[in-house]
Amino acid sequence: MSTLSVIARREMGLALRNRSILISAFIFAIWFPVMSALGIAAGAGDDATILAGGIAAITLSLGVFMGYLFCADAFLREKRDGSIETLLCAPVSLQRLWEGKAAGVAVPAYLMTLVSAAVTAAAVSTLTGIPVATDPLLLLHLAVVVPVWILAAAGLIGAAQLALGMRENQILGFVFIFGFFFLIFALQGVVPGLSVTTEGIFAAAGLALLALARFIAGKVTKERIVRTIP
Amino acid sequence: MNAVEVRGLSRSFDGRDILRDVSFTVGHGEIFGYLGPNGAGKTTTIRILLGLLAPDTGEVRVLGRDLAADDDARARVGVLFENNGLVDRMSAAGNLTYYAGLYSVDDPAERVDELLALVGLADRRDDPVGTFSTGMKRKLGIARAILHRPEVVFLDEPSSGLDPGAQRMVRDLILELSRREEMTVFLNSHHLDEVQRICSTVAILAGGRIRAFDSVENLTAASGRPAVTVALAGAGARACETVGGLPYVTECGVDGDRLRCTLADPAAIPDLIAALVGAGFRIEEVRRSSRSLEEIYIEHVGRAEGGP
Repeated sequence: MSTLSVIARREMGLALRNRSILISAFIFAIWFPVMSALGIAAGAGDDATILAGGIAAITLSLGVFMGYLFCADAFLREKRDGSIETLLCAPVSLQRLWEGKAAGVAVPAYLMTLVSAAVTAAAVSTLTGIPVATDPLLLLHLAVVVPVWILAAAGLIGAAQLALGMRENQILGFVFIFGFFFLIFALQGVVPGLSVTTEGIFAAAGLALLALARFIAGKVTKERIVRTIP
Repeated sequence: MNAVEVRGLSRSFDGRDILRDVSFTVGHGEIFGYLGPNGAGKTTTIRILLGLLAPDTGEVRVLGRDLAADDDARARVGVLFENNGLVDRMSAAGNLTYYAGLYSVDDPAERVDELLALVGLADRRDDPVGTFSTGMKRKLGIARAILHRPEVVFLDEPSSGLDPGAQRMVRDLILELSRREEMTVFLNSHHLDEVQRICSTVAILAGGRIRAFDSVENLTAASGRPAVTVALAGAGARACETVGGLPYVTECGVDGDRLRCTLADPAAIPDLIAALVGAGFRIEEVRRSSRSLEEIYIEHVGRAEGGP
């Protein structure tokens, strides 16, 4: 088994065993879509494409938030308790460690987002009587765009959590998440709705963010991490 | 080739010198004690050796390699920091299995069971580490550090926070590892008695510099002048007055009925005994005494704190 897989599997296992984060994630995965479904159904009327576009926008924001939520356990916890120092001594490059952790965070975050998307689609369909869950563009959005953005969010936030001190992390954590939200809303302003073009642009933006995350993670040094352990 | 080589190592943080021109070597199979007061730079040295921090100047090598740039070499080194590197929510076996995967240990299940048995935690293999005592966590941390059969293992304060029983267990475990697995052990410790008992070589770091570096035997034997402890059948204080003025006695002290004299020359021991007997003292025991590592440590650290 590759070290990437070893690291990712452990992070997934720990995320799925962290009761407090799971409860928070479930609350957001259920409460958030039910509330937003009411808004989507009221605002979009009976236009199936607009309904699917609304669900797509909500799930992307929620996916990014889930990535942020699960990062706290994978990156910050090990820094807070100092065990990251032991991991840095293992025969694994820092880049590989970051990749494994980001992947391990992204999987449970993606699963929660899928649960949320299913609840949202069911709620919207119930309220409007229009089945939206079978929209191929929405399925494409959930299968490609959402996981890429979650991975990018987990990677960027994780790299920042590795590089920054605990106090800086507390302050800047929300800056990162709101930065992502702002970017999503800004892109939706430029290319609204759900279309092949929209999905192409969002997928490209997600990949660019992933490349940026990888670039930033490559700049983080072990010394930087060790010196910011509390 | 030595297992660990440090040459001219210097490092400062925010303009404050932590290490200044530090040099020492550790031979293969040695148990090396790295001593120094809090903030002396012991952990900084270990972090530089492990490639976690970069030196300002100087060169460090572990097994002839620079661990900062060599993933393969890191697979030959084990490390135990104060936090043990364990996840509380995972089981004892789960923690070890994770590291076995990272270090590509052959037959991990067998090795994990072997080590849990070695540190006496086989019956707790599936319990979450968060339910363990400090001593049990430390034992598991040591098992984790040696899981991949490293050639060199760095132990940072392995006995801190442990009760005397657990300290003894850790000490025995280190000796066992050194003997059975022929590991080089780099022991960073405050526990001078522990270091004196198990280490073959010692370096004392104070004020950012190495103040002493030698085998424990040489340090305790060669430091200061020969001393002798005489157990008397009463009247220790009067004995000190009697022999304190003798030309070959440089220092004399009394602890109850025990007289402790430092002599100018080891050949003067029979003369001292003859003088005591001649003065009518009854002698129960005479013991040639060397200075303890603690005395040597305090002397070097005190000197360092008094000036460069």
